[in-house]
Amino acid sequence: MSSIDRFVARLAPLMTAAGALAFVLAVSPVHAQEDAAAVAQQAEDTAIGVCGTCHGPDGNSTNPMFPRLAGQHAGYLVRQLKAFKEETRGDPYAIAYMWGMASGLSDETIDALAQYYARQKAGFGKSHDPATIARGREIFEHGLPSQGVPACALCHGPDALGNDQFPRLAGQHAEYILKQLASFQSNMRKIAVMHGVAQNLRTPEMQAVADYLESLP
Amino acid sequence: MLCGAAAPAWAVPSFARQTGMACAACHTVFPELTHFGRVFKANGYVLDNLQQVQAVGSKREELLELAKTPALSIMAQVSYTSLKTRVPDVSNSAANAAGLTQNGTAGFPQQLSLFYAGKIAPHFGAFAQLTYANDSGTIGIDNTDLRFANMIILPHKQSLIYGISLNNNPTVQDLWNTTPAFGFPYAASNANVSPLAGTEIDGTLAQDVAGLSAYAFWNESLYLEAGIYRSAKQGQTNVLTGQAGPLDGSASNVIEGGAPYWRAAYEHDWGAHNLEVGIYGAEFKLQPGAGTPLQGPDNRFNDVAEDIQYQYVGEDHIFSVEGTRIHEKMNLTASALGGTNATDDLTTDRLWATYYYRRQFGGTVGWFSTTGSADPGLYPAQATLADGVTPCNCGVVTSANGSPDTRGYVGEVNYLPWLNVKLSLQYTHYTKFNGGDTNYDGFGRNASDNDTLYLLLWFAY
Repeated sequence: MSSIDRFVARLAPLMTAAGALAFVLAVSPVHAQEDAAAVAQQAEDTAIGVCGTCHGPDGNSTNPMFPRLAGQHAGYLVRQLKAFKEETRGDPYAIAYMWGMASGLSDETIDALAQYYARQKAGFGKSHDPATIARGREIFEHGLPSQGVPACALCHGPDALGNDQFPRLAGQHAEYILKQLASFQSNMRKIAVMHGVAQNLRTPEMQAVADYLESLP
Repeated sequence: MLCGAAAPAWAVPSFARQTGMACAACHTVFPELTHFGRVFKANGYVLDNLQQVQAVGSKREELLELAKTPALSIMAQVSYTSLKTRVPDVSNSAANAAGLTQNGTAGFPQQLSLFYAGKIAPHFGAFAQLTYANDSGTIGIDNTDLRFANMIILPHKQSLIYGISLNNNPTVQDLWNTTPAFGFPYAASNANVSPLAGTEIDGTLAQDVAGLSAYAFWNESLYLEAGIYRSAKQGQTNVLTGQAGPLDGSASNVIEGGAPYWRAAYEHDWGAHNLEVGIYGAEFKLQPGAGTPLQGPDNRFNDVAEDIQYQYVGEDHIFSVEGTRIHEKMNLTASALGGTNATDDLTTDRLWATYYYRRQFGGTVGWFSTTGSADPGLYPAQATLADGVTPCNCGVVTSANGSPDTRGYVGEVNYLPWLNVKLSLQYTHYTKFNGGDTNYDGFGRNASDNDTLYLLLWFAY
């Protein structure tokens, strides 16, 4: 059992009705259901009480340093948490915060956390200057062929809602997106496709795309 | 009543080892806490990501959880202090000032500390410090905060953290950097001249008391705490039995019964900003002791304080403003028999602003003020040497007019080559000292003569 698992295991039996239920289930003979329900409950309590301090209790963080996770696809979240745990995602904040936080997570907890965030309702983004948004939308939908930048929408979907393979970007903090683009550019966060894209984007273009994405519902 | 050496405050790398997270998660720049750091502290310092040695009972109950790496840290402060004007050298002539001291004091180390800071058991953690200081030349217990904490999730995805703190310095358990134990200046010289007056809650009782308090932190925003303090003297023995207690009249300023402590604070977080406003206070009934029995008339100190903190913690820029105002009402029934006023009041204000660029270059400017009723019995014109007995006609640590008023500014610039190593250059300027701006002691010393230049190398690992 990992440390965060343990941390939450201690919380789970306490007051919430669901927590009490999980505890009752945990001593019932139906082991498979019991474990799944208990892990889900523990993960929810972790998400709210531990992850929530930065990412918001429901994954709608208000601090742009920390990404919004509400409504993010579970498959993508699982890959990120595993990349933190295996220390293969190397952007600065991943190293400073998430390598430690994910180091003790079991695969079951990772799955349950991802499911929790995937089922949360994504909050509203933030509006920006209409001209910048229009420019960002243009780049997102059509790319910058002259600079060799493909349309973001090709992978992330026309409304930036993503899928299990490519993350949802709609409503994400612009500041966070800019930071990730910078990490792709410097290859601290190594994703070949995104490195290629980010290398060909200039700062105002990145800003426009980020502002557009943050303004999406 | 004397204001002791400023109680410094620390960040501890063993927390980073335990959580696997860099200092920046819990601190803007050590020792100032971020929101995450406050939540970590409220949770009892127990969040960990280390491999554990475990024992589990037959009903899955946890009997033991020991980190395979102990939560130990070492901290050192190396400093150099220069006063604007040298103080008299009375070492060879106690009665009168005979010469001048050397100026420029090297503290190597000024302080060296060993910490156990981290989890002890599943809900039980500690921030415990043992310190060697160059002024005493000895090792002693320093700030200590033992915590039991638990968290529950309420409906609507709100957390409730609750716990108990057993600590030895009122406000050392607090979550914000506005309160005295972890307030600015975060480090200060111990080779300076300290003003006479300070409130009881402002470090006067640090490491001299034991307090037990219960707290609750709702939704990471509303914080309530109530506790009680009792004297816990170090290096004090009963004259008759030779044992550590019961305390007798050889001890000084002994708390009668228990001294209540209380705290309420509210923090609002939005985006990269947060704002906290709060109040805190305590009431101490002290038996003066020091040669008189611990009974009969006492001295009562009623402290009520307000505090406020604003932080912006951005990627490149970090900015914070913190401040507190402490009001103290004194009813000095015991001391009045020895010549002080029957009642006095004292108010201390502090306000400071800090900026850092990428947690590497930064600085703080601060303003401080202590004002109160004049009382020659408390703030005497006649100096007494550090032994507390020998009189000296040498001024410096006296007040010619019996006023406690002290006011001034502190400015410091900091450079952190790494997150756990800080180089500081600090300057303290007094516009008023012990009641006067010029000739405050009646021996010709001006407030600004106590201006202090302080160079500090501060690191922990």
